[in-house]
Amino acid sequence: MRFKTSIRNIQTFSTSLSTLGKVAWVRLDDDSVRFTIIPETGTQVWASLSIESIFEDYTIQSAAPNNTINLELPLPPLHRALKSAINATSASIRLTKKDGVPVLSLTIITNTVSSGNSAGGFLNPANADPFGDNVFREESLDANMGREREAIVTQDIPIRVLTADSVEGIHEPRVREPDAHIVLPSLIQLKAISDRFTKLAMATSYGGARGGASSTASVPKLELAANMHGSLKLSISTDSLNISSVWSGLNNPELDPRQLDGENPENHPSAKLKAAGQDAWSTVRIDGRDWGKVLSVGRLGGRVIACFADEHALILYVYLSNFNDGVDDSVLTYYISSFSV
Amino acid sequence: MSTHDDSDHGPPIFKAVSSSARQLFQLLNCIRFAPKCQVQISNEGLRFAAEESRVMQGIVFLDKALFTTFNCALPEVADDEADSVADLPNFQVSLSALLETLQIFGATEAPSARFSRSDADGYISNVRRDRPNAFSNQALGMAGICRLSYTGLGSPFGIILEEAGVITTCNLNTYEPDNPEEIPFQRDEMQVKIIMQARWLFDAISELSSTSPNRLDITASPTVPYLSLAATGHLGSASMEFGKGRELLETFSVAEKWTQSYKFEMIKAASEAMRLASKVSVRGDEQGVLSLQFMVEVEGGGVSFVDFRFVPYLREDDEDDGSEENIGSDYGNIED
Repeated sequence: MRFKTSIRNIQTFSTSLSTLGKVAWVRLDDDSVRFTIIPETGTQVWASLSIESIFEDYTIQSAAPNNTINLELPLPPLHRALKSAINATSASIRLTKKDGVPVLSLTIITNTVSSGNSAGGFLNPANADPFGDNVFREESLDANMGREREAIVTQDIPIRVLTADSVEGIHEPRVREPDAHIVLPSLIQLKAISDRFTKLAMATSYGGARGGASSTASVPKLELAANMHGSLKLSISTDSLNISSVWSGLNNPELDPRQLDGENPENHPSAKLKAAGQDAWSTVRIDGRDWGKVLSVGRLGGRVIACFADEHALILYVYLSNFNDGVDDSVLTYYISSFSV
Repeated sequence: MSTHDDSDHGPPIFKAVSSSARQLFQLLNCIRFAPKCQVQISNEGLRFAAEESRVMQGIVFLDKALFTTFNCALPEVADDEADSVADLPNFQVSLSALLETLQIFGATEAPSARFSRSDADGYISNVRRDRPNAFSNQALGMAGICRLSYTGLGSPFGIILEEAGVITTCNLNTYEPDNPEEIPFQRDEMQVKIIMQARWLFDAISELSSTSPNRLDITASPTVPYLSLAATGHLGSASMEFGKGRELLETFSVAEKWTQSYKFEMIKAASEAMRLASKVSVRGDEQGVLSLQFMVEVEGGGVSFVDFRFVPYLREDDEDDGSEENIGSDYGNIED
C-alpha cells in the first residue's frame, strides 16, 4: 500500500475541510479524493475533489480495485499541520509507518528568504538610527547568500487505515427530490448576516446586552427559505423581535434532464413550487452556529447551489471550478437536516 | 411577507427614512448600558432613554434633521403642546436588538472591526474609530436606506434596511412603557458648569479605569486644581487633575468648591459618548446630580446631543440629617 503526493492548493485543502467535525473518512483512489465528515450532530460533508485540484505527482497503489485506500483522518492535527504549510514553497504528503503506527507524514519546505528582509542587504535592521555610523554596514557577499535558507518541517499525523468492509455501510444520505434550488448570493455576505442574526437571537433571548450565552443546547435556529422565483429569505424570531433578510433576483438553475431519470420535468416538485408563485416558499430550520461554519467555505469562492427539501433538509453543492479550466469535477456537498418547529 | 402587513394596523403614525443607519447606531450605541430603552416619538424627532436602577439615565435625541424624510402623524395633538406630551407614542424596545439590527447594514464590510468591542479599554481603542471613515461605504455614498416605522399601540417598531440586493425587515416587539421619572436636575441651583473637550474626559476616565475602581469623586473648585477626578477601589486610588484648567476648559463657572462621589462603573458607561462626542458640558447641581451633556458632530454638519444624568452616592457625613444647607456648610468648612 503506497500513497505519496504533493499538495498544490494548500488553502483549498484546509478550507474545504473546515471545522465541521473531528474525524474524516478519506477515500483515495486512482480518479478522485473523497473526504467524508459525519459528525454526531450537524452537517455532513461529502467532498469529492478531482486529484488535480489539490494534488500533483500523485501515486497510489493498493491491493484493492482501483487502488483504493480508506483512511480515518483526525482533522485538528491535519489542520494545524496545514497551517504551517501556508507559506511553504512545497508540501508533500506520504503514507508511512512510524513505530508501528500508520501516519500521514507531511513534509513542508519553506524558504526563509521570503520572510526575511530581502531588500535589507544594505540596511542593518538592528541599527534603527538612520544617522548612525553603521548605516551601511559592509557585509560579505557570502553572508548574503547564506540568507537563503531552507527549512524542512515534518509533521506526522497518526491515522487508521480502514478496511473496505468497514466503510461499505457508509452511504451518502438519500434526500427526496428538492422543492427549490437556487444559486446562493455571496457566501461572505450571507455569512455576515447569518452570524449577526444568530448573535442577535442569542443576545436578546437571554434578556440582556451581555448575552453571549454559552449553552449549546439552545443555539437559535435560523429559518432559511427559497422560492422558485429567485428569492432567498433568511429569518429568525425571538421574544423581542422577528427579523428577516430577503435576497431577490437570484438564479434558479434549470434542472439537468439527465438527472431526472426520464421523468417529466413538469412533475418535479420544483416545477410545482414554481407554479405556485412567488409566495410559495420551501423552508428549512438550521442551527445558526453550524450554518456559520458551513458558510466558511465561502472563502473558496466557488459557485454554490442550495437545494431545499421543504421542512426536511438542505443540501449545498459547492462547485470548485476556478482552479483549472476544464476541470470541474470538484464538488463539496453539505447535507444539513432541518429542525422541526 | 411581514413587510406589508400594515393593513392590520392602519397607516403608520410614524415613518422616517435615514440614509445613514451607521449614524443612528453611533448615537444609540452611547446608551447601550441598558438592555431596554424607552422610545418616544414626537414631531421633532425620536427620543431614546435608557436608565439603570433609577440612578443613571442616558438620553439620545434623534432630531428629525438626521432623517431624509420624517413623517409623524400623531393621532390627536392638542393645541397646547404641554398637555399633549403624555399622549405622544411611547413604548419600550430591546436596545440590544435595535443596535444589532442597525449594524446589519454594512455587515459585509469589515465585520471584524466591530467584534473587537470587548477590548475597547485598550490603548488602541483610544483612536476614535467611530468617527466617519473616509473609505467606508457610507462616505462613498454606497450605503442603502434605512426606514423606521411605527403603526401605533401594540404594533412592532419596524426597521427596514436596504442594501445592494438585500432587504432586511426587522420588527422589534414593543413593550408597555415604564415611564420612570427623569432624574431631576435643578438648573437654577447649578453649582458647576464646565465645558471641555469630551476627549479629555474620555482619556481621564480610561486612565483611571485601569485600577478597576468602584468610586469616582469629582471635585470642582474655583482655584487650582480646578477639576479633579479621583478613583478609589480595592487596589488603591488614583486621581487626575486638570491643573491647567484655564487652558483646558472652555467654560468654567464654579462658585465654590463642589465634591461628589459616583459609582465608577456608571460614569464609565458613558465613555462611548465621551469617545464619540466633540464637546461635553459637565454640570452639577446643589444636590449633587451630575449632568453630562455631549455634543456629537454628525456627518454632513449639524450636531446631536446625548445626555447623561447621575445620582451621587450619599455622603457619609450627611447621612444623619442630609439637609442641603448642611452640605453647603460642609463645603465651607473644607475650604476654610
